[in-house]
Amino acid sequence: MNEEKKINIVLAGQGNSGKSAIFNYLTGLHQHIGNWAGKTIEKAEGTLFYRDHTIDVLDLPGIYSLTTLSDEELISREYIIKQNPDRVINVVDSTNLERSLIFTLQLLELECPLIIALNMTDLAKRKGITVDSKKLQGLLNVPVIATVASRGSGLSKIIDRVIDMKPCKSTRKIHKYGKEIEQGIEKISNRLSGIDLPYPLRWIAIKMLEKDGDITALVSERKPEAVDEALRIAAEIEEIHGHDSPLVIADERSLLASRITRETVRIARDRKLSLNERLDALTTHKVTGYLLMILILGGMFLSVFSFGNWFSEQLDSVFSGLHKWWNASVGTTFWPALGWSAVESVLALVQIAFPYIFPFYILLHVLEDWGYIARISFLMDKFMHKMGIHGKACISFIIGLGCNVPGCLSCRIMESRRERFITAVLVTLVPCSAVSVIVFGLVGKYVGLLWALGLYVFAMILIFIVGKISSKLMIGEPVELIMPMPDYKTPQIRTILSQTWDSLKEFIYIAAPIVIVSGIVIQAINLAGWMPAIASVMSPVTVSWLGLPAVTGILLIFGILRKELILVMLAAYLGTTNFNEVLSSTQMITLAVVSMFYVPCVATISVLWKEYGWKKALVITLAETAFAIVLAGLVKRGLDVFMV
Amino acid sequence: MKFDQIIVNMSNGMHHGHEAGERAGGVSLAGLEDGQTGVIVSVTGGKMLTKRLADLGITAGKEVKVIRKTLFSGPVQVEVAGSKLVIGWGLASKIMVEIR
Repeated sequence: MNEEKKINIVLAGQGNSGKSAIFNYLTGLHQHIGNWAGKTIEKAEGTLFYRDHTIDVLDLPGIYSLTTLSDEELISREYIIKQNPDRVINVVDSTNLERSLIFTLQLLELECPLIIALNMTDLAKRKGITVDSKKLQGLLNVPVIATVASRGSGLSKIIDRVIDMKPCKSTRKIHKYGKEIEQGIEKISNRLSGIDLPYPLRWIAIKMLEKDGDITALVSERKPEAVDEALRIAAEIEEIHGHDSPLVIADERSLLASRITRETVRIARDRKLSLNERLDALTTHKVTGYLLMILILGGMFLSVFSFGNWFSEQLDSVFSGLHKWWNASVGTTFWPALGWSAVESVLALVQIAFPYIFPFYILLHVLEDWGYIARISFLMDKFMHKMGIHGKACISFIIGLGCNVPGCLSCRIMESRRERFITAVLVTLVPCSAVSVIVFGLVGKYVGLLWALGLYVFAMILIFIVGKISSKLMIGEPVELIMPMPDYKTPQIRTILSQTWDSLKEFIYIAAPIVIVSGIVIQAINLAGWMPAIASVMSPVTVSWLGLPAVTGILLIFGILRKELILVMLAAYLGTTNFNEVLSSTQMITLAVVSMFYVPCVATISVLWKEYGWKKALVITLAETAFAIVLAGLVKRGLDVFMV
Repeated sequence: MKFDQIIVNMSNGMHHGHEAGERAGGVSLAGLEDGQTGVIVSVTGGKMLTKRLADLGITAGKEVKVIRKTLFSGPVQVEVAGSKLVIGWGLASKIMVEIR
């Protein structure tokens, strides 16, 4: 390929600025888009062919700064500097220009070839905000192009600009700080001249005044005298301003962003309360907010499960016909039976994925794209704080109600490792749709719906207690919630479908292979006739402690694969789906409690392994199993007293 | 207005010089009522925290409006730097403001 016709560009911008939408539009790849900040966690790459050029596009994580050293910010900064992209497209949210510009100013300091995509101009217009892009272009001295990423407008203009832009070595005006800082920067830059680092000198000097640990360490290896100089100047600045020098610089940058915004943005003020604001007031209100939240989530949950039960029954009759056909035409001896177990695993996955998980995620992503999920985080923050995490963890919990696999993966939105881990542990205790199938199919149907709902309340209390304990055990300061509140917007069907597919894909790609393979292994053990032996080994726990039939030992082993199997196989082993003939109410509740909290299913364990290492995955698995057994035994004893 | 003029104005208009102790009569963001507006006087707290806030435009001299608070000293929804943010209670009580 012709070297000159290859261009690589990077999309950089703050969370929720529409970067992912631009990326998707350009490359056709489905990058997950959500209506809350911080969605892109790993960088995504794609390629675009345009006007005889091959353009590699990279979507960086949504970050707010190039200075606070979170992993994502570090990765982004290193990428922009070291990979030396031909162009950096800074996606700017025109409804939040001031905040976006703080980041833009930092990109300008990096002296990379910048183009600004002034995005969401349609939303801005609706809010009565007009941005003078010509003036902005004049002030910043970089191309500014208005875009509406969701419709793709303005994007070809950007790519045209990318191709036509001359490879410039910055001759642009650079924004200046206050006098003493500028003098400091100059002095440090002079000391730095000739240093062997791939960064612009002015930028290094600024970072040193911002006390950036990384950069300071790099410089001290090469020119320790420059570090001394920077420390001296920082002390001077602190003397003058009475603040830490990084804060002084951040303040000045932030005020500059204010001023540029004031110069370029006109807001029509005299509008009456918009629908968005009224809706926001209602859904975040001290009373109606919580009522609506219970209504919305409860409605979503109940409608998914009543639809799921109906759909699942339809599938059941189809699949049982298929099983009869298999037995008749393939056979029932060892190998055909083993083959059927593989088929059955796939069918069972289908039976949980389509009736329950799929509609659940459709509704969840409607709420997310609409902007409601951020409101839940707001309403629940205080409650979450009691567990040592903050409001954003709610998102993972709700996702976990569908399936714990994407639930655990979504914990990446939490800022620190500590928060991430606590949230993941708690998510494994959230009753996923498979567990809900058991709770409703067993307890809800035969003991009473109130008992089933009671189990959910019980699960919530338990999660709260475990959260409280683990936040005490895990050392470290809890991170406070700082979250941009998105505006409500009309959910886009295309976005919702592609997001739902992404969540489902995690379930299918991660869960399915493990479930199918271990399904075959367990079936082989079963066919070899070892199960009764295993059941009797487990009987001290299942029979003596939990008061369940010995056969449940086998069920709990199968349940590691997928928890809803416990119910399916219970019917098979006991020879009836009329469970109240063979199990007492106490037994049903006890079985439901064990199923809810013991071993997170094998797919969830594998995610924990991947994210936190095998040791932690093992500890969580063993601890939860022991915990569930102890708990269920206690519940049984409690029920024995009350339910006679 | 040209860029350089903005800069001149900027250096004149800085709001520094408030020591942490100068809180007489000061109120924190968490102490504002729904709908009240204040100008940020100082942000106390760890370096990472103040940086994180600064990245979002929460710095001394900025005007900030409390849109609403939740029950039981929960997070505070504010409008600052032209955008809406949710800030945890603990953080909001570290942001000192002067009521407008």
